[in-house]
Amino acid sequence: MDTKAYIESGIIESYVLGLASTEEATELEMLCRQHADIKNAVEEFEALIQKQAFQDALAPPPEVKEKLMSALTTEFAKAQTPVVQLTVDTGRSKSISIIRYFAAASVILLIASTVLNVFLYNNYLSVNNKYQALLTERNSLQANNDVFRTRINNLEQSMRVIENPDVRVITLKGLPGKENNLAAVYWDSKTKDVYLLPTKMDATPSGKQYQLWAIVNGKPVDAGVIDECDGLCKMKNIPDAEAFAITLEKKGGSNTPTLSAMYVLGKI
Amino acid sequence: MPEIQKYTETDLIMLLKEREQSAFSYLYDHYSGALYSIILSILPDKELANDVLQEVFVKIWRQVDSYDASKGRLFTWMMNIARNASIDMLRSKGYQKAQQNRELTEAVYEKGGSIATNINQIGLRKLVHSLKEEYKVLVELSYFQGFTQDEISKTLNMPLGTVKTRLRSALLQLRELMKQ
Repeated sequence: MDTKAYIESGIIESYVLGLASTEEATELEMLCRQHADIKNAVEEFEALIQKQAFQDALAPPPEVKEKLMSALTTEFAKAQTPVVQLTVDTGRSKSISIIRYFAAASVILLIASTVLNVFLYNNYLSVNNKYQALLTERNSLQANNDVFRTRINNLEQSMRVIENPDVRVITLKGLPGKENNLAAVYWDSKTKDVYLLPTKMDATPSGKQYQLWAIVNGKPVDAGVIDECDGLCKMKNIPDAEAFAITLEKKGGSNTPTLSAMYVLGKI
Repeated sequence: MPEIQKYTETDLIMLLKEREQSAFSYLYDHYSGALYSIILSILPDKELANDVLQEVFVKIWRQVDSYDASKGRLFTWMMNIARNASIDMLRSKGYQKAQQNRELTEAVYEKGGSIATNINQIGLRKLVHSLKEEYKVLVELSYFQGFTQDEISKTLNMPLGTVKTRLRSALLQLRELMKQ
């Protein structure tokens, strides 16, 4: 392409001055991208026109700028503040109001929490007292329970003794002067174990204790002292006996029975 | 007005596209004189020229995103906005009416010369004035009054090809005058 002829055709000047048709302008813009000298020629004329216009410049009255700037005030505000200041400002005031809100909420929460703590602490004290009382009560109930269980065990054992067909029952009846006393000896004929049921005996004076004796070949044999027991009291094993008797002896028992203090007697 | 640049043209365009008010203010201070003379070369009425100048800068502010640096200088773009706005005003009904009223007192203005500017002394028009008559009329009708070449062809009863060739020759001559 003869770019020189194109450049010298006047098309560049008409393009820059806005006198070229749309087709001419499109063609020139395309050629500018392809040919540096055409592009340079355009830039040269643009520079020339600009230089000319600056030489011919006439200062407009100052009020034009004032009117212009005030006419665009809202657009300046829109263009700048939403991006920088407004967001920062609303952000800051928002965060301040959030901080205030949280501060107020914190104080309220602290007061509420204190009140709640006092209430809960009082509650705790009262519940703890009740708990301690319950614990004591439970312990005493447990102790009672243990006592009863022991007694039930003893009674069950007594029942088994009584139910055992090998066991013989020897009733010990009150002697003259001691008629209101009654006891029974359960004697296992196989194991020779001896159990005593002190059905109804006079209360023992202090320092004294009842003692069971087996009469073997006319002689008394110690069968054990009688302690407090539930149901049957297990006594000493007696292989053979003709009779059983209970005397009141000193605490811990005696080697020989005090015959004057014999309460009950039962022959087999 | 000396052409002292505070910003490079690239920076200025970038700042304008970022909606920098200070860049716009600078743009006005720097270019308003040159654009004002272009407006006045088309619209001799200073009041109207002031309005058009304001309108031109509003357009520049609002349309700066549509400016394409690959197609030419910022000034070329603004100059064309100024010229188009001036021609639009020139052709508006309001202006035509005012003009009719004005014709009655034109002699007064011409002689007094204080209110209306002597249009032939302004800017490019001053150079156009020194072109030969057959060139002058084409530049006058096309550049200063905004007629298309087709319209000029019909108005002057001249073949379109001739209008085109002559106008281009006229512009080339104008270029040479500017270089002097």
